[in-house]
Amino acid sequence: MSRQAPLVIDNGTGYTKMGFAGNSEPSFVFPTVIATHQSASSTSSSTGGSGSARAPPPVASKPGHLASKRGIEDLDFFIGDEAVANSKTYSLHYPIRHGQIENWDHMERFWEQCIFKYLRAEPEDHYVLLTEPPLNPPENRENTAEIMFESFNVQGLYIAVQAVLALAASWTSSKVSERTLTGVVIDSGDGVTHTIPVAEGYVIGSSIKAIPIAGRDITYFVQQLLRDRGESGAIPPEDQLKVAEKIKEDYTYVCQDIVKEFKKYDSDPYKYFARFSGEHSVTGRKYDLDIGYERFLAPEIFFNPEIYSSDFLTPLPEVVDNVIQTSPIDVRRGLYKNIVLSGGSTMFKDFGRRLQRDVKAIVDGRIAGSEVKSGGHMKSSGLEVNVISHKRQRYAVWYGGSLMASTPEFYNVSHSRVDYEEYGPSLVRRFSVFGSAT
Amino acid sequence: MILLESHNVIVHDVLTDRFEKPSRADIQFVDYDNVRFHLSTPDSKTVLLLSMGIQCWPDLVKYGARDHLEKTFEGLLLSQGETEPEYDVSLRIDLEQIPQDPESRNALIDKIAHFKSTAMSAPFISAFEEQASLQANYKDAAGAQQMDVQPQEAKGDLKVVKYREEEAIFIQASHDRVTIIFSTVFKDETDRVYGRVFLQEFVDARKLGSLQNAPQVRYSNREPPLEIRHLPGLKNGEDWGYVTFVLFPRHFANPAQALATINRIQLFRDYLHYHIKCSKAYMHSRMRYRVAEFLKILNRAKPEVAVPQEKKTASGRTFRRQ
Amino acid sequence: MSNTLRPYLNAVRSTLTAALTLQNFSSQVVERHNKPEVECSTSPEVLLKPLVVSRNESERVLIEPSINSIRLSIAIKQADEIEKILCHKFTRFMMMRAEGFVILRRKPIPGYDISFLITNFHSESMLKHKLVDFIIQFMEDVDKEISEMKLSLNARARIVAESYLSTFV
Repeated sequence: MSRQAPLVIDNGTGYTKMGFAGNSEPSFVFPTVIATHQSASSTSSSTGGSGSARAPPPVASKPGHLASKRGIEDLDFFIGDEAVANSKTYSLHYPIRHGQIENWDHMERFWEQCIFKYLRAEPEDHYVLLTEPPLNPPENRENTAEIMFESFNVQGLYIAVQAVLALAASWTSSKVSERTLTGVVIDSGDGVTHTIPVAEGYVIGSSIKAIPIAGRDITYFVQQLLRDRGESGAIPPEDQLKVAEKIKEDYTYVCQDIVKEFKKYDSDPYKYFARFSGEHSVTGRKYDLDIGYERFLAPEIFFNPEIYSSDFLTPLPEVVDNVIQTSPIDVRRGLYKNIVLSGGSTMFKDFGRRLQRDVKAIVDGRIAGSEVKSGGHMKSSGLEVNVISHKRQRYAVWYGGSLMASTPEFYNVSHSRVDYEEYGPSLVRRFSVFGSAT
Repeated sequence: MILLESHNVIVHDVLTDRFEKPSRADIQFVDYDNVRFHLSTPDSKTVLLLSMGIQCWPDLVKYGARDHLEKTFEGLLLSQGETEPEYDVSLRIDLEQIPQDPESRNALIDKIAHFKSTAMSAPFISAFEEQASLQANYKDAAGAQQMDVQPQEAKGDLKVVKYREEEAIFIQASHDRVTIIFSTVFKDETDRVYGRVFLQEFVDARKLGSLQNAPQVRYSNREPPLEIRHLPGLKNGEDWGYVTFVLFPRHFANPAQALATINRIQLFRDYLHYHIKCSKAYMHSRMRYRVAEFLKILNRAKPEVAVPQEKKTASGRTFRRQ
Repeated sequence: MSNTLRPYLNAVRSTLTAALTLQNFSSQVVERHNKPEVECSTSPEVLLKPLVVSRNESERVLIEPSINSIRLSIAIKQADEIEKILCHKFTRFMMMRAEGFVILRRKPIPGYDISFLITNFHSESMLKHKLVDFIIQFMEDVDKEISEMKLSLNARARIVAESYLSTFV
């Protein structure tokens, strides 16, 4: 009997992606949210904030022993889309904040249903690959291991850093010539965009930069633009956000020159303006609106943040350049050569091309500057800048996990149940990098 | 979620999606008890191939699983020769020939999502049939016998389904009931203790008035029960337990009831293990709460650190006394 | 509360209070080191007589005082297999989080379930009587918690069994 396919679960702040190793797409993608049922009286016990920061959040409804004796209220919950659907009678909780697990009680139950209800796998028969954000404290990994091994009795566990998986996912791109775990990952989801340099499978923690612009901001920006142009009158107020999201996903692209693009649109609006027709979600009334400059302005906030925000003004290419410049000098060449995109908000058409051009411009500018300063004595051989976008970009982290977990090597690097019983949870502090030559 | 569902969610979701809009697929996934699935579109977008590999397939075939599947999935099941290599059975779903109205579509999706449970139900169904015929014979025999001679109990063959690496289901029909025995093993000490508590409750639950009609449950630790004691190779270590369900004819009186019973009982092991795990998760949350409480008590021992109080001037500015 | 628990806890409380007279004491073996003497026990002259307070065979407390540190180990009541495993789980869970509990030892002394190590630095930076309160409170609550866990496990098992069997009716 061959070994059962490992489970690959990528719990993100917004969405959880999960499925079995070896597939090209996750079998389930749903919001990382849990809807629990609890009486109003017990929900107010948010005393955790006043204690020390390490104290776990209180278990609501546990102190009432009468309630706990009555049975298994803790099984009465929903996760993902079902949770959202039941939000009227249940209260919603988001167990992950900023990529890190905040509420372990909820997370443990979330996994419970992930495995038993959706994946329908007996965890005793499977290895599990989980993901973690960069700079995850080792205590969190220990807690994760404790839950996975003690509650679920998994056969083996591997906790991978998301950025490293995203790098591995880029190996499918035809632009990638060698399989390296060195590169910069630009991971843009719904809430935040991270720029993470990775050298040979290790994250360079000191150089990570977060950009407070991501998918949700683009949606808001589209909405704002529509309002400014007076198009939003046609949209029913409760659907505005949904329409903005739809426009963002289906109609936008990254232009190469914003001024030219404006001129193009003004000279021949009929050619470039698109028509959007929607239907009122409640009444079913139809409506139409024009989509204009939003098409190229929306993703532009990555490159010219001043058009949207007033407190974050550094364009993405500059951030990328900064990140690489603050990394150790001997990996910089490798980092410039391998800038990898990951996450839904990097899916805009020509996003990679524009980014590559802009980063290249910054780099070339600097090289030219130093050539001049040297008085013409030095000549640079140039620097290769490569931005890699590929087909699996949207679920790149999950896909990278699926790739890794389907190699035979996976079983060697993951922590097995036997090891756990011998060393305990501190086992996961030891970190073995995948794919790098050992 | 207390009870586990008997259908496969991935099959259900993917089919619902593909029935609407055919597109390419190549997905491998699993179900409980070492069942592997492969859903693919090898030839064209509109022809789905769903293959299943079950560990205990040789056992199931012996008890008529293929015939049963053929009956249920008429026109969909591929013959042995056409079955995808490395798998045991394959279904071919031509999206151009599926019914158009949503209701029968849903029925079809539901039926296919129960692919695994249908295959697993074969030995149960044949045991139920056997019981019916034994019962009929038994009555005849009893009528013919003298009243004072106790007729010998009639028993069907013992069916063994080795559905996991080490665990098996034993099914035996007799004239008035069907006995189903699960052998279970707990790999972990905690699981063993928890499992014993759970199984004891299964045995005791029937004392409850409202559950009088439920199947009788027996549980024995270490010792295999009488029905299967003669079989070779049974394990009887501390980690082993045997759970016996005694189903009476009323549990499978009509086909719908029989189906519900089968779907429920074949997931017994998974149900048990699921709840053992949930209990451990629950204990974890209790412990987290208690540890936080203890920490609060301990922190009371730390004297209040005199934080320099922020003072306010008359104009509302704040300053700290150095 | 059974009538033997009070005197038991009182005995532990007064013994512990008396033993918690710690002072700073540098190691006599390694220069410029300051080690809890009860742990390294390199200088027998600074160790005091260990003492066991016991309520019955299974519940007892071992107090090992020394000049600058005191080690307190508790054996928790374990009536049956379930309590044993729950107790083991719980103490392990707590010891995993020992850095939060500054006085908790990461491993218990053999023969006991959980150990605390209080050094003079702890008794100087924390209120002594509150430390004693914590230990006593812990001893009280841990028994309660374990029996409650056991009860809830049984209750769960019952519901699980009933809901499964009720689907056959």
